Amino acid sequence: MVYPRQQSNFWYLKRWPYRIFILREFSAVFLAAYMVVLLILVMKVHDGPAAFHDFADTLQSPALIVFNTIALLFALLHTVTWFMAVPSAMQLRRGEEKVPPQLLIGAAYVLMLGASVVVLLLVLV
Amino acid sequence: MTVEATDGITVGPSARPSQDTISLEIARYRPGHDEHPTFESYDVPYRPEWVVLDALNYLKDQVDGTLSYRWSCRMGVCGSCGMMVNGVPKLTCATFLRDYLPGPIRVEALANFPIERDLVIVLDDFIEKLPKIKPWLVREVEQPLEEGEYLQTPKELADYKQYSMCINCMLCYSACPVYQNDEHFLGPALLALGQRYNHDSRDQGAAERHDVMWTSEGVWDCTFVGECSVVCPKHVDPAGAIQQAKVESTIGWQLSFAPPVPPLPFGRKQAEET
Repeated sequence: MVYPRQQSNFWYLKRWPYRIFILREFSAVFLAAYMVVLLILVMKVHDGPAAFHDFADTLQSPALIVFNTIALLFALLHTVTWFMAVPSAMQLRRGEEKVPPQLLIGAAYVLMLGASVVVLLLVLV
Repeated sequence: MTVEATDGITVGPSARPSQDTISLEIARYRPGHDEHPTFESYDVPYRPEWVVLDALNYLKDQVDGTLSYRWSCRMGVCGSCGMMVNGVPKLTCATFLRDYLPGPIRVEALANFPIERDLVIVLDDFIEKLPKIKPWLVREVEQPLEEGEYLQTPKELADYKQYSMCINCMLCYSACPVYQNDEHFLGPALLALGQRYNHDSRDQGAAERHDVMWTSEGVWDCTFVGECSVVCPKHVDPAGAIQQAKVESTIGWQLSFAPPVPPLPFGRKQAEET
C-alpha cells in the first residue's frame, strides 16, 4: 500500500529559497501598484502644473510614503533576484565556453543603470 | 521504538550525540503496518569520512535489516540514493555526516513522490512521462552504416553536453513546488532531457518534442523557482534548460505566423540535411 504524500498549502514557508521565491512573485503586486501611481503622475503632468502639484502633495501623505517605501524594497528584491536568475535564463556561449554568470549579471546592472540615466536625463532636461 | 543493538551502540530514542556518535532521525513507513511515516531515532558511530548512506548501511547491516532504501554505486553516478536530508533533497552518497554536526540528521524519502516503503519512493509517474519526451535520437532517415558515424564538432557537443549529465536522481522533482502542485507537469529533468536531444546536432526530432514541451504541462508550467538547479548534483541546470526552451517556444510561436513557415531554428541539422 503506497503512501501518497500530503501537499501543504504552505509549502513556500518550508525553506528560505521558497520564501524568497514567493516574495519575488509577490513583489509583482507592488510593482504593478506603483506603475498605476506612476501612470496617474504622468496624467497629472499632462493636466498642467496645478494638477501635478496637487498630486505631489497627495504623494506626501504618510500612507503613500509607507506604500512607496514598501514598493521600493520590493522593487529592489525583484531586481536583485531576477538579475541573479539571468545566467540561467540567458545561456550565452563564446564558442565552447559559457559566458561567465558574473559577466551576465554585471551586464544586467549596467543596462539598468544606463536606462536609469536616460530616464533621469529625460526628466531633468 | 527501541531496537537491540548488536554491537553495543545505543539505538532507539536517542540521547544527545556524543563525540563518537551522531543521531539519525529516519522516516519509517511499513505498508500495511503504518498509517503514515513516523520518525525513529538511531545513534550511529560518527566518522568524518562517512556519508549519510554509510550510516544507513550501518543501520541496515548492524541494527535493523528491515530498513529499506535504494542505493547502488555509492559514487554519485547511479542516482539511486536520493533522499531528503534535513528537508533538502540530497544524494546520500555525497552528503557527509561531518557537515551536519552535532546532529541530529533527519532523513526522509524524497518529497513530492509517493512512498513505497521507508525511504523508497514510487517513480511510476516519471517513468510514464519519460517516453513522451522521446529521449533518443530521432532520425527521419538513418544514414547508411558505410557512411560512418554522425560526426560532431566540439562546439556542437558543448551545446547539449551539460543536459546529458542527468542521472535521473529525482532531486529536481523533489525540490520543485510546481511538480508538487501539478501532477501533469513534465518536470525539470524531463524538460532538460528534451533540450539535450533538441540541441543535439544528430537529432531531427525537435518538432515532435515541441508538441510536448512547448505546452502548459511542459515548459510553460515552470514558474522559475530555480531550486531544481540548486539541488542538481550533476550541475545540469534544468531551470536554465527550461528558460532556454521558453525562449525557443516564443520564437517558434512567432515564426508560425510567418508564411511560408521556415524550418525551426532548433534542430538545425534537420534543415541542413533535408
